[in-house]
Order: sequence, then structure tokens, then C-alpha cells
Amino acid sequence: MAEVKYEAASRIYPGTEIAAVNELNLDIADGELLVLVGPSGSGKSTALRMLAGLEFVDKGSIYINGKDVTLSPPQDRDIAMVFQNYALYPQMSVASNMAFALKQQGIPKAERMERVKEAAKILDLEPYLDRKPKNLSGGQRQRVAMGRAIVREPQVFLMDEPLSNLDAKLRVQTRTELVDLQARLGVTTVYVTHDQVEAMTMGHRVAVLDHGVLQQVDTPRRLYSAPANLFVAGFIGSPAMNLIEVDRTGDELHFGSAAVPLPDDVRADLRASSSKRFVIGIRPEHLGQDQNGTACGVTVVEELGSDAFIHASMPHEGDEVTVVVRLDGETEIVRGDQLSIGIDGPVHIFDAESGARLGTPVT
Amino acid sequence: MASTSTLSRDEQVKALQKKEARRRRIPLLPALLFTIVVTQTPFAFSLYFGFLKWRGNTPAPREWIGFKNYTDAFQNMFFREAAWVSILMTVSAVLLSVILGTLIALLLDRKFFGQGFVRTLIITPFLVMPVVAGLVWKNQMFSATFGVINWVINIFGFESREWVSEFPLWTIVVVLVWQWTPFMMLIMLAGLQGQSSSVLEAAKVDGASASATFFQITLPHLRPYLELGVLLGSIYLIQVYDHIFTITGGGPGSTNIPFFVNQRSFGAAFAYGSASAYSILVVIAAILIANFGLRVLSGLLEGEEA
Repeated sequence: MAEVKYEAASRIYPGTEIAAVNELNLDIADGELLVLVGPSGSGKSTALRMLAGLEFVDKGSIYINGKDVTLSPPQDRDIAMVFQNYALYPQMSVASNMAFALKQQGIPKAERMERVKEAAKILDLEPYLDRKPKNLSGGQRQRVAMGRAIVREPQVFLMDEPLSNLDAKLRVQTRTELVDLQARLGVTTVYVTHDQVEAMTMGHRVAVLDHGVLQQVDTPRRLYSAPANLFVAGFIGSPAMNLIEVDRTGDELHFGSAAVPLPDDVRADLRASSSKRFVIGIRPEHLGQDQNGTACGVTVVEELGSDAFIHASMPHEGDEVTVVVRLDGETEIVRGDQLSIGIDGPVHIFDAESGARLGTPVT
Repeated sequence: MASTSTLSRDEQVKALQKKEARRRRIPLLPALLFTIVVTQTPFAFSLYFGFLKWRGNTPAPREWIGFKNYTDAFQNMFFREAAWVSILMTVSAVLLSVILGTLIALLLDRKFFGQGFVRTLIITPFLVMPVVAGLVWKNQMFSATFGVINWVINIFGFESREWVSEFPLWTIVVVLVWQWTPFMMLIMLAGLQGQSSSVLEAAKVDGASASATFFQITLPHLRPYLELGVLLGSIYLIQVYDHIFTITGGGPGSTNIPFFVNQRSFGAAFAYGSASAYSILVVIAAILIANFGLRVLSGLLEGEEA
């Protein structure tokens, strides 16, 4: 049981100028499942490996349970890690794989086997204890990697894209099992993924990284409803938020033919801002058919059964932009139809240059 | 085609498949024959000669004597001695070069400036012709009067020694190890570089010390590579001839079976029959030694589990 704290931790790879992880500040509570998410090259894995002690911390510090571990080797951190490719010891049986860490601690064999059996029971691995990893399926290997972590009863679990080598169906199933397991064991967990759906469904809180910089850390719901900047707005949510760049017209912003209704705090920020260009962000479900809306031509209809996503071409500043609208699955709209689209819900406004959100975030 | 129609469909398919298989194999036949002729004929002839009483320097006709050459071999003191030298030489040279090769491979398996250059330097002994290697070591290194080794130990106040005549077998082993370590190093390096880095990281996170990681994870991983090294090393080193010829000329305690075979046949005695029998024994010995080596190795690495 432990809290984890990154304090302005940076990693600059030798021979590069730009930090792979740049002054990361992050507080992770005891028992929390925190997800690090970002596109490839965002520094999420590096951040995790810094915590594991596999990557040097060039600046700043990292604390586990209040203890400065910045310079400690992985052996002294009492952490367990699940690797993307599982990194099972290929010559050892499943049982030996799981017992390996305990063996290094000098725990007697009887107790080792006891604890391995316990973990195997949790993970339904009992029939496979004598097998070698190469004789297991992908899902079983993943569970062995989990088992290897669980047996240790470490202070922190580190997981580096542990589900990305599983097929889509198994991934979704394992995802929920993992969340349940983490909740039952109550061990602080840092989980890295590039998949925003995984991040949103699993994380108690989600930290979004881009280019080594922490963009926002918040609960999944708040990331969705109040993205701190343009990057988070575009990264979280599927299909992505509609982001449309506009010029300001005095203190007004126009979406299609209509002025965007702005809350007071946003309007105040807009008035105070010296920028000319802004980005209007609207979730697909916050657009809808509207008598007074803008006329758009439907280009693609994606039917998912429960929902339908309508891609429509909207005239905008003398050009065309594509907007995505979520309608219910019963819709009979087809390609080529004309729709009148208007805003039907909250709007997010960002400064086009800095990417910062305008207005105080709603709770 | 009334006759074919009486066959069932399955039989027809089978017949077709057979025909097709034959049609495909026929073009391979010349290559197969060639391979058999080239690889197996010499062996078949030595096998046959091994059953003959055949001396090249007398007009006496060849005579079929069955296994007498083989039974004589084991009663021949010189053969027994040569066999023992063969075993000693092969086993010690293979083991030492595998161990040294592994150690050097471990050093080379980390990134450092000039890695490629150092690797090339280390490989060079393997590229030297055996005869040249033998001569260089004999005249430059071991020589009692001009040798580098004596020069070095003189600096530290030790007396010069006659290395080659005092330790005929071990000087040859030293040269063999010098030549074969690079080969073993290459095999082990390939093995080390085939090891997934995340497995090593996992071991680190699991709290394994460097030595625990090596003995419990890296060494088992290297097992097939060690086996390959031992196997190839044994097969080649049991046939060593050039080094012995140049360094000791078969001097006391350094004649192995191939050298002995040559002495018995072309060297002087012209005993082609018994020489052939001995060469067959070398083949058998090579198989036995390689097998033994692999067993021992497997046993060592099988050991610890859980």
C-alpha cells in the first residue's frame, strides 16, 4: 500500500535535446488506479519506467510511500511490473515464473509454492502451473504476467500496455477483470496505454501526456466534460470532438450561420484575450438537427446500432469542414441528404494558438 | 477406360498422388546420387579398408581379416595413448574455449565506443590458418630463447622454460583455445543478442541480482547455443592435425588419433588397413564425445526449477 509522487521528474535521453518526460508532477493516492495515456512518443512508457527504476531520472524526484527512490535500483523499490510482451522467463514453468521474485527474496520453497498457488487460483492458472510459457495462449501468458506481479504483494503495480497484445474481444474482457482485481487487492497501480477507451474505462484518474508534458490529470468524466486544452479535447472521446477553427467577430464566435452561445466566464476570457483565432469544440452528441441551424450535406453515415454517426460537410468561413453528429440508431438519414445542424449542448472554446481552454472548467 | 472406373474414388486419388509424387522426385534424383557419391563413398571405402590387412609397402595381397584391425587397435598401446590424448585435447580445448567465449561475449554484449572494431579484433584468431597459428605460437610465443612468454615471465623474475617440450599437449591446447574462442564467442554473442531485453528488465524488477540473473535466466537461455558450440567444437577439434604437426610434430604425449592414423598410413608405416579402422574409430569417438558433452551440459542446465 503506497502513494506515489512524481516531483518535477524529467528524463532526457542522452544525445537528445528535448525531454522525453518533462517535469512531470503527479500525485497518486494509495490504492488508486492511475492511467497514463497519450499517443506514441508522448513519454507515457518512459514515465512508467522511471518509476520502475529502469530509466534514469535526470531531474526531479520520485517518491514511493514518502521515500525518495529517485536513485534506487528497481530491486529496492518493491514494485512489480507487467510488460507489454509479458517478458516471461521462457525456460521456466509458470510456477517458477511466478515464484522467481519470491525466490530472490530468499522465501522458503514451501511458502513460495503456497503463494503461487493462491495467485494461480485468483487468475485461473492452476491447471497450467507446470507448463512453459511457449505452451500457453496469449491470454494465459498475460495472466501469468499478472500472476508474477500479484504473488509479490508489492507496494505498486506498474503495467505497460499489458492488454495490447490480446485480440479485441479478450482485451475488453480482461480489462474488466483487471479493474476488478485491482479493486479487490487495493494495490496502487500505474497503468500505461495508448488507447483512450482503455484509459477512460479503467482509470480512477487519467493522466494525459503529449510530447513528454502532462496535459491534464483528472477523472475520466471530467476529462471528457472539461478538457483542459485542445490536445485533451481531441484525444479523449470517440469519435473525436468536432474542433473547428474560427475568427472572432468582436466578442462573438460563429458556428456555421449562428453565433455560438457562450457562458459568461468564457465570454469574459474571450473579451480579455488578444488572440484572433479560436477553436470551437463540440462533442458529436452535442450537435443535432435544428430548424435554425446550418444546412449541411451528409457524406458518410456510420451505423452502430444504438447510435448513428453522421459525417456532414458544413460551409464554414468560405470553405467546407466536416462535422460528426451523433443521432440515435433509428435514423433514416443516408448519404446525400441535406441536414440542418445546430448546437444542442455545451461548447468548449480554446485559444487556437496556445490551445488553452477559455473559461473556468465546469464541475 | 473400364478398368479405372472399377477403382473407388479414394483409390484414384491415391494413385494420382503417387504419380505426382514420383513426377516431382525424379528431377531430384541426380542431385541425390551426386550427394551420396561425394559424401558417402569415402566413408564406405574406409569402412571396407578397415576390415583388410593391407600394407602399402609390401607386395602382399590385401586380405580380409574382419574386426582384427579394431581388436588390435585397443591392444595397441600407442593407439590407446593417442585416444586418450584425443579425448583430453578435445574436451579441454572445447570447454575452455566455450567458457572464455561466453565471458568475452558477455563483455561484448554491452554498448561501448568501438564495439564493432573490438569484435573484429577478437575474431581474427579464428581467421588465421591452423598451420600459421601453430608456427606463430611455436616460434614467437613458446620458443625457449626468443619467445614472448619467456620474456614476460623473465621480467617478473621467473626462469625461462621449454614450453613445447615440457608441456607438448597443453601448448597445443592453448593454441586451439586461442583459435576457437572467437568462434564460441560469436555463437554466444548471437545467443545473448537474441535475449529479449524486457526479460532482463523483468528480472531486475523482480529483484534478481546480476549473478542470479545470469545463472537463472541468461545461462538457460544460452543452452542451445552452448550445445551448438560444444557440438561443432568437438567435431572439429577431434580432427586436429595441423597444430600438432607444426608445434610438436607428434612429440611425446601430443599424438592424437588423426595424427596417429597418418603416421600409420602415409607417414611411414603404410598400414592402410589399420589406419582406416582407426579413422572409423575417430568418427565413433567424435559422436560419443559430442553426445557426452551435450548430456553433461543439459544436466548442468536442467537442474534448478521453481
